[in-house]
Amino acid sequence: MMKSDNQIVLDINGQICPSCLLLTLKELNRVGAAVRDGSTEIVVLTDDRQATSTIPEAVDKMGYTTEVSGSPAGYRIRVFARR
Amino acid sequence: MGESAYTLIIATSAFVGLVAGFFMHRSDFCVTAMFRDVFLVRDFFLLRMLLLLIVASMLLFEFSRLGGLLSPYPFPLLGPGSLATLIAGALFGVGMVLAGGCVVGTLYKLGAGSVVALVAFAGLLTGSALYAEWHPWWSDFARATTPHEAITLPQLVGIEPVFLILPLAVVGAVVLYRWQLRGLLVRKAYARGHIAPWQTALVLVVLGFVSWFLIGMPLGITTSYAKIGAGIESLFLPDRVQALAYFQVQGLNYTPPFADTPVQGGAGPQLDAVAAIQYPLIGGIVLGAAVSAVSVGEWRLRYRIPARQYASALIGGLLVGAAARMVPGCNIWHLWGGVPILAIQSMLFLVGLVPGAWIGSRLLSRFVIR
Repeated sequence: MMKSDNQIVLDINGQICPSCLLLTLKELNRVGAAVRDGSTEIVVLTDDRQATSTIPEAVDKMGYTTEVSGSPAGYRIRVFARR
Repeated sequence: MGESAYTLIIATSAFVGLVAGFFMHRSDFCVTAMFRDVFLVRDFFLLRMLLLLIVASMLLFEFSRLGGLLSPYPFPLLGPGSLATLIAGALFGVGMVLAGGCVVGTLYKLGAGSVVALVAFAGLLTGSALYAEWHPWWSDFARATTPHEAITLPQLVGIEPVFLILPLAVVGAVVLYRWQLRGLLVRKAYARGHIAPWQTALVLVVLGFVSWFLIGMPLGITTSYAKIGAGIESLFLPDRVQALAYFQVQGLNYTPPFADTPVQGGAGPQLDAVAAIQYPLIGGIVLGAAVSAVSVGEWRLRYRIPARQYASALIGGLLVGAAARMVPGCNIWHLWGGVPILAIQSMLFLVGLVPGAWIGSRLLSRFVIR
């Protein structure tokens, strides 16, 4: 896991669901308050196709917003506060 | 049986496998996730896709049967239900969650380059072949716990299948319609070339029909896993393979729809009707998924996975392989083929599968994913 000033990068390329989803939820449990107040965000790097559906849906139910885009290795899912 | 009938079987299986593998990869149509995600994250989306597949299959299979298009009916290799089926279904459920995929999920993930799926596949072959070691007493146990010889529920209660299947399918269709109105049959997806799972469910229904219509049975592959396992074992322990009764049994004995004479096959390593039906299906699913992954630029070897997930895949694969022989039959055989015709063995398998998937999910979140 890499960290920048206000971004936590969760590189789980190679892993498949459900570990992608569960690891993302685990990270949200850890830093959820900071994500919620907008002081940080989580960027998930994954090459699992299923994760591009399951992660946005699950975190949306928890009150966060996601943005999915392609990356050279797969996909980049940004999880941040709902504004 | 003539050569042309075998050609038809092999060509049909390969075609069905290719299409199934392609669509399953594009939709990530994972049967394991259908059950696992209910327990892990309370996500019922994929389970709704299974209900769609079952209800649509009920209607298509039953109307096709009434039209005289499906024979034999019920399809071959289905047996009566027993306590053994229930227990083995639960083991199957535990195993598929730990393996990260069922007997076909493993194949389409393998086709897309997943090394952990290859490990699960190795476990499946090994578990399937190992079952031969305890087949005699397990089959005795299955016989002793079989309350009735009926294959399907309509046979058990002594009525025409349509009088049970149609009302149940209508109820299922109403439920699906209500879900559709609430937008519960679709969800946002961002993967390249994504195909909505409801579309794949309907494609699989048609493929199941094509397989039954042309080959005489819907999709199933796990006897071949035992067969491949036996083939590998016979390279090292030929006498052992010869001595095991399970590998000598010719469990498949039927006349395919477009053939004049019966064909036979079993779990032994020889090339027979089971190999003709199932090997092309297995190869087709792997290849179809590979074509799908390459065409969206996503085929690559995926191996960067924690060691405990590899261990879980191997243990899960062993369990699924053995359980599929103990049931006997796998999840696609029973859920996509048997349940739609209300086969008792298939329904008992499903009843066992659910608590098994729950146990597997608990084990997964407790010991595997950290």
